[in-house]
Amino acid sequence: MENKGERDLRLLQLRFIGKILAGFTHESKNYIAIVKESAGLIGDMIQLGKKSGDEPDAYLEIIHSIEEQIEKATDLFRYLNRFSHRMDTELCTFNVNETLEELIALLTRFANQKKISLEKDFQQDIPSITNNPSLLQLLVFHFLEEQLTGLDKNSSLILNTSLSNGLVVVKIMIKGNYLEAESEKKPGTDNKIHVYIIDQLGGTIIKENDLISISLPVLLS
Amino acid sequence: MSQTKVLLVDDEVEFTVALAERLQLRNYSVQTANNALEALGLVYKNRPDVIILDLRIPGMDGIETLKTIKKYDPTIEVIMLTGHGDVQSVQEGMTSGAFEYIMKPVDIGELTSKIDKAQKKKTEV
Repeated sequence: MENKGERDLRLLQLRFIGKILAGFTHESKNYIAIVKESAGLIGDMIQLGKKSGDEPDAYLEIIHSIEEQIEKATDLFRYLNRFSHRMDTELCTFNVNETLEELIALLTRFANQKKISLEKDFQQDIPSITNNPSLLQLLVFHFLEEQLTGLDKNSSLILNTSLSNGLVVVKIMIKGNYLEAESEKKPGTDNKIHVYIIDQLGGTIIKENDLISISLPVLLS
Repeated sequence: MSQTKVLLVDDEVEFTVALAERLQLRNYSVQTANNALEALGLVYKNRPDVIILDLRIPGMDGIETLKTIKKYDPTIEVIMLTGHGDVQSVQEGMTSGAFEYIMKPVDIGELTSKIDKAQKKKTEV
């Protein structure tokens, strides 16, 4: 039988995957909707004859917009595909920046919805680490979700990576104010699932007022 | 017959631009907004006949925006624009005074039919 930590972890994982899929399907549908309207507009321009064929720029502009949406959708598909494969193996060597970039891409819609900016500030030359990438994403998601719920609009969450004393450090920097009703949910007052996860990752977490710092070994011992 | 004044509210700029142009080609007078604040500003300024309102817009919850609009002018008809997963929000929207809802991606024929019905209801009041 699962202990409480395992059970909480599974619940969080399900919520995480559900949230990512909800965001993905919503975004995909938006891209398809834009492509559909843009293609429909070209059809209208021809059929309803309000713009003549000697206005190629108008058509080219719409075609360019369709191409842009397809590129954005392709990027999103790529991120979701990579995200899905993170769960293939529990232990592997991976690039932390890529793992976090993927998470940001898949969570940006939720941040935008709350008018909170989700930014990255990555040290480019940090070494790859050997650990569990999907568990790291889950841990960062846990903190980001907590902040996205608690922060007021026009706040920022910055994901920073660096190498410090042989450890890869992921910092979540919080800039903004908390919603009044959510003020009790500031870092340090949430449940302890992160403790369970960081134990499995073999790292440490330091939580301060506006900063959550996750340190991970390059090699999991 | 005067043009139906439509306000199209969605956070995707490209979507609103393309759909607005398609509606204009069908003789609707269309304005667009990409967030709740902008939408409410246009409601107060221009008092549209029909609003097509995305339920997930930045700045204010779509349902709250709907309630604010209906409180300001109950005769403005609101058609909710929604994804397939928003069943709960759709139900809440309908009980909060929305005229109808339409799923994204939109079928232009279905949308214009709903706009026309909304406008007809408005003029009958």
